[in-house]
Amino acid sequence: MRVQLFGTCLVDTFFPETGEATLKLLRHFGVDVVYPHGQTCCGKPADSGGYSGAARKAAEHFISVFEGNDPIVIPSGSCASMVKNHYPELFKNDRRMKEKAEAVAERTYELTQFLVHVLKVHEAGLQGKGSITYHSSCQLTRELGVREEPLLLLESLRGAKFIQLPRADRCCGFGGIFMARLPEVSMALADEKADAIVSTGAETVTGCDHGCLMNIADALNRRGNAVKVKHIAAVFAEGLE
Amino acid sequence: MTGGETVNIFMDKAAKAGAEPVSVKDIGEMNRLLATILESTEQIYCPGVTEKECAVEIPEDRRTDDYRAASVCIEEVFGAIAETGSLICSSHGGKTVQAGLLPPHHVAIVSADRVYEKLDDFFSSCGDSPPTNITLETGPSRTADIELTLIVGVHGPERLSIIVL
Amino acid sequence: MSIFTRSVPFRANTIKALNDPSLRSALRHATETFAQKRSEAKASVPFEAWRDDASAMRSDVLSNLSGYLDLFRARAVRAGATVHLAKDAGSAREIIVSVLKQFSAKRIVKSKSMITEEIHLNSYLHQQGFNVVETDLGEYIIQLAQESPSHIIVPAVHKTRRQVGRLFAEKLGCDYTEDPFVLTKIVRRVLRDEFVSADAGISGANFAVADSGSIVIVTNEGNGRMVTTLPPLHIAVFSIEKIIPSLADLPKLLRTLTRSATGQTLSSYVSVITGSRKPGETTGATELHLVILDNGRSEIVNGEFREILKCVRCGACMNVCPVYRTVGGHAYASTYPGPMGIILTTLLERMERAHTLLDATTLCGACAEVCPVKVPLPRLLRRLRELRVEQDFTTQMERRGMDGFALAAQSPRIFHLGQKVARLSWPLLKKLDGNGALVRMPRPDPVTFTRRMQ
Repeated sequence: MRVQLFGTCLVDTFFPETGEATLKLLRHFGVDVVYPHGQTCCGKPADSGGYSGAARKAAEHFISVFEGNDPIVIPSGSCASMVKNHYPELFKNDRRMKEKAEAVAERTYELTQFLVHVLKVHEAGLQGKGSITYHSSCQLTRELGVREEPLLLLESLRGAKFIQLPRADRCCGFGGIFMARLPEVSMALADEKADAIVSTGAETVTGCDHGCLMNIADALNRRGNAVKVKHIAAVFAEGLE
Repeated sequence: MTGGETVNIFMDKAAKAGAEPVSVKDIGEMNRLLATILESTEQIYCPGVTEKECAVEIPEDRRTDDYRAASVCIEEVFGAIAETGSLICSSHGGKTVQAGLLPPHHVAIVSADRVYEKLDDFFSSCGDSPPTNITLETGPSRTADIELTLIVGVHGPERLSIIVL
Repeated sequence: MSIFTRSVPFRANTIKALNDPSLRSALRHATETFAQKRSEAKASVPFEAWRDDASAMRSDVLSNLSGYLDLFRARAVRAGATVHLAKDAGSAREIIVSVLKQFSAKRIVKSKSMITEEIHLNSYLHQQGFNVVETDLGEYIIQLAQESPSHIIVPAVHKTRRQVGRLFAEKLGCDYTEDPFVLTKIVRRVLRDEFVSADAGISGANFAVADSGSIVIVTNEGNGRMVTTLPPLHIAVFSIEKIIPSLADLPKLLRTLTRSATGQTLSSYVSVITGSRKPGETTGATELHLVILDNGRSEIVNGEFREILKCVRCGACMNVCPVYRTVGGHAYASTYPGPMGIILTTLLERMERAHTLLDATTLCGACAEVCPVKVPLPRLLRRLRELRVEQDFTTQMERRGMDGFALAAQSPRIFHLGQKVARLSWPLLKKLDGNGALVRMPRPDPVTFTRRMQ
């Protein structure tokens, strides 16, 4: 089977190793991965800020770059939700674009959704090591409804110990432009998240969204804590031969 | 649901809300119960309007006519709601609802056959011309305004006893 | 820094709040407790179905609000109440004062009412020479402290017992104690005198029932009952969206309201007051005056933000909001804080004042999950942010940044050039950004994922 991979602008710019891990993971399970080179950003930063014009431009570009019928896989809950839930809404006054948006939305998967529902990776299980805890991001859970999939995958890790994070679905304070507009509150929320993470004693904290992970890593960094922060794609890719 | 089951649910919920519900078989048992609840309390107010209120036995010298100065009000209330463990106090028939509000101890007598199962059962029966005041009373008065510490007994009664007869 | 001096200085307020450890600890305790209690309360009941029912009923009312309002007025008058319609805060205050003067009322007891906060009633009455005493324990505390409420259910949640103890010792002259039990009993004694000697009681109303002309007051302390039945004159103030069709609809809301607010199955007292005292009755105010306030609601109900008017003021959204939980209600400097507060404040007080409040959300969606009447709070917040941009209440720098973003998003070449420029000028960008977001982000990678895929 073949998929189109949308890396996301955060991965492309700051965390390319996550893109590589996603690629490795999908290929390992026999998926042929196409990377449309015209890809840029899904438009979420503009959309959350209320800049719908700019968001629409990003969305139009995405839709044209990702034309076709293959599933689109995205290692980010917020980007996947932007495409699946907000694209059709952005074009509600443009019937032609709305139809295209709905078609694209229908074939889009957040990574763990794809791994569980299409590839059924959790059934065979994966390899891991050390102790891991998991932060569940807001758009991933509340907009996309992806709550079980990452847990199924993490719990299937042989060789690794999964520790439940207290108040895992509480916002970490990233919120996209929120981090820039109210940095003090953002840091305070990230600190609380870091407190919870440290309390688990886990060696690694993982999640599906780099925005959150970046904010969490900063909080851990500021207190000189050595807990590793890894995207879930990297956690799974590491365990592959 | 049988009447007995409804009463049991009412008693359970009322107790959970901090009231002290007891079910009695007859007037005699009610008065024996009252004697223990009231012990040597003075300044007892009882309207003496309904049949059950008139059957309440309290020595004259421990009674008062002024509910504002009373330490306890014993009265029969309109009914109750099992779902929430609530009493229904109503101004219907000239009843003085605030008599059960001001004294620190409210002793409410409820007829077992006037216990509604659900809130809906009661409110649907109210129609569009209810009496001036209907109050659902669920447990004693309470607050958590200071540090979310639950304190029972604020402006309204500090203690709510319920006798189901 | 805000470029519009009339807007709420929200960021500065959050910094103040973050530097107040006693406030932070009080907030943490309160919001955790409420969220926990709500969870427990909904666990063994069909709460989702109840939310659907409550939401549907509230939507139904809003789509025929003026019809229900007319019915309410007719029925309330039939039951003996005097009904006044107030277009805005100013006229509501004047109506209330004229009613008080009509009955020569001087001493007034008041039960907690957010609408009276919204119209700034207490300070106006005080100016006009009336003696007004708040009787809800939390409101009484903040009245003594001359502060405004910080939460719509527990107005004094930001105060520790020590602070309350010191306040009472200072203002009431009693011995210092920090025991909440003793503090509460002091207030019981002090206010009992006020209740029985008051000329008038002023309350709000949680709901107004159209077909019976009744108002419904939901409380725990008993002060609501005393304020509305002991004084000869009772004035109830509420806004038009509080209306529900009939008493048969009340249970749907009661079930979800109290569980969402405090985790209780039902609060200690639910009073349904229908008109004034009738001949032969011994309960109820002899004069009941209802002041029904519009204050911008009829404009909202006819617009795209109608759903915010479904709000039943339970406070659940603020208990789970990451921003409210961290900084508390005072930072919003508005009658209503938290998610529903941002929306209502922006609609009632306009973008000019409230646009900074629109920053106070991460759009995490926790609020929508707990709203008992399913107000789509994140959707409304996002839409208000869109309006904020359209009405030009964002900075020039941000708008230019977004223009640049739009260009880059449509052109891979510009996008990748932008990445390169950002990486090369990263130290300079961080310096320019101050203590914003960039300093908390890693430096861009020299080899982008796209490059690795070539």
